[in-house]
Amino acid sequence: MRREQTLADKISGSALWRSFVRHGYPDTQRNQALIIASNIFLHIHPVKIKRYATKVTYTFCLGGLSFFMFLVLVGTGVLLMFYYIPSSDLAYQSMKDIESSVTFGQLMRNMHRWSAQGMVIAVFLHMCRVFYTGSYKPPREFNWVVGVLLLVVTFLLSFTGYLLPWDQLALWAVTVGTEIGGATPLIGSQVNMILRGDFEIGQSALIRFYTLHVLFLPLVAATLMAVHFWRIRKDGGISGPL
Amino acid sequence: MADIAQQTPGGQVPSNTIDEAKRQRLLELVRGRAMARPTDLAEDEVMVWPSLVVVEAVAATVFLLILVVLSVLVNAPLTDHANPNQTPNPSKAPWYFLNLQELLLHMNAGIAGVVIPSIALLAIAAIPYFDRSPLGVGILGTSAKGRRIIGFTIVFVGLLLAIMIYADEQTGRTQFGVGAWMRNQFDAPEIVYNQLLPLLMVAILIGIFVAIVRGIFRPTRRELIIALFTAFVVSYVVLTVSGTSFRGPGQNLTWPWNLPLVRH
Ligand code: HEM
Repeated sequence: MRREQTLADKISGSALWRSFVRHGYPDTQRNQALIIASNIFLHIHPVKIKRYATKVTYTFCLGGLSFFMFLVLVGTGVLLMFYYIPSSDLAYQSMKDIESSVTFGQLMRNMHRWSAQGMVIAVFLHMCRVFYTGSYKPPREFNWVVGVLLLVVTFLLSFTGYLLPWDQLALWAVTVGTEIGGATPLIGSQVNMILRGDFEIGQSALIRFYTLHVLFLPLVAATLMAVHFWRIRKDGGISGPL
Repeated sequence: MADIAQQTPGGQVPSNTIDEAKRQRLLELVRGRAMARPTDLAEDEVMVWPSLVVVEAVAATVFLLILVVLSVLVNAPLTDHANPNQTPNPSKAPWYFLNLQELLLHMNAGIAGVVIPSIALLAIAAIPYFDRSPLGVGILGTSAKGRRIIGFTIVFVGLLLAIMIYADEQTGRTQFGVGAWMRNQFDAPEIVYNQLLPLLMVAILIGIFVAIVRGIFRPTRRELIIALFTAFVVSYVVLTVSGTSFRGPGQNLTWPWNLPLVRH
């Protein structure tokens, strides 16, 4: 006996729908496998997975949340870029404009700021989760090293973003930060010069931090994440009890 | 149908070119599965859709809700226009670097801000190359003993660091007076009292800590690394809390409620 065709059935059976979704509604195991395997965003996952790996109290969702925060940061960051001007004369005023005259500007800025700090915390806690469950052990040792690099990049992303509002908080936090870099034994003054592009923090430092923050470091982070996720699959999915 | 031609790697071979001597006879057809299909689930497995995808969607939604609510309620700080001629007191790095800023109150900035964190990161990256035994994977803290070691380390290192921060403050941040003594008595150069001495002190402290953990717990290698990693995390947290919440003007120890209002 055939059940009645609903509107949803008609839409999902139409030629248009079928041209971009090649399987039926994922309520059968076959379609559940197909949706994972044929969707570029979902195919990051395997089709099936060990039951313990879906337990929230094992991963605490921390790796996933770190990634999600990164996506939120990219989204809100691009929106901020439409208004932010990386010039030491105009940057502060453009921040003020974002806060007072851009629609949802303040909200975007807040979301960007809080998820940046959230990401630092989430990545650190994710490292702790991986450590305390012994998930770095072979064959995952290389992915642990990739993770440590991701931790460093996360710190750098947050730190380079800190200068951009060009307020007192930004200037002096980065002054302290680059002074620490400048105290590197043997190559201190070179490190300082590379970071600041000048003897003090001004336009050249701002444009360096800006370029690192909106282009270079996000690309590095995205590349490392691609490696990280790929390796999770290649190392046999996430770890679990023997 | 009962005959199958031996195939060359190139694909189907036209039947007239088959060497008769190499022909094979199919003896029997067996019903069954040639391969596991992707949808065959083992007992301890679930389908990613829906079992994992749902968890991810819920986690992302909950997080996004919290983020939006937080962002509606609390504004990101924007202080006055940057002014190189007006140094705020205290000037602080972003909070996640305040652990380093706290550390560099007690020793040379290069040691505290570059050498020690670099060594720490390298040591963390190297963990899997020292601890290769698969025992305890997937179990939080590995074992009951591992979890006891975590508890012990949190209390021991937490208290020790708090006492050390206070003691160094009381002796004028001169490596508990030892640095000052070296300087005054022997005219020691900066590299000795402010660089080598603190490094040596850190190394000795780690040595003593390892000896204590060994003595009390007789740990396996994994358990010893748990102790060291926990010591790192506790140090990170204690130094961060001290740097954010207890350092006022002149970077002097201050109660959090007496701090000048600088938001991060
Ligand atoms: C931007 C930073 C990072 C992102 C987005 C990220 C993302 C993820 C995700 C989504 C997973 C899957 C399991 C889970 O959610 O726990 C994972 C697993 C893993 N991560 Fe990360 N991670 C990051 C940083 C790190 C760091 C700092 C480390 C360690 C130092 C690390 C080491 C690992 C390892 C070894 C696994 C495999 C764990 C297992 O098999 O149980 N990751 N990561």
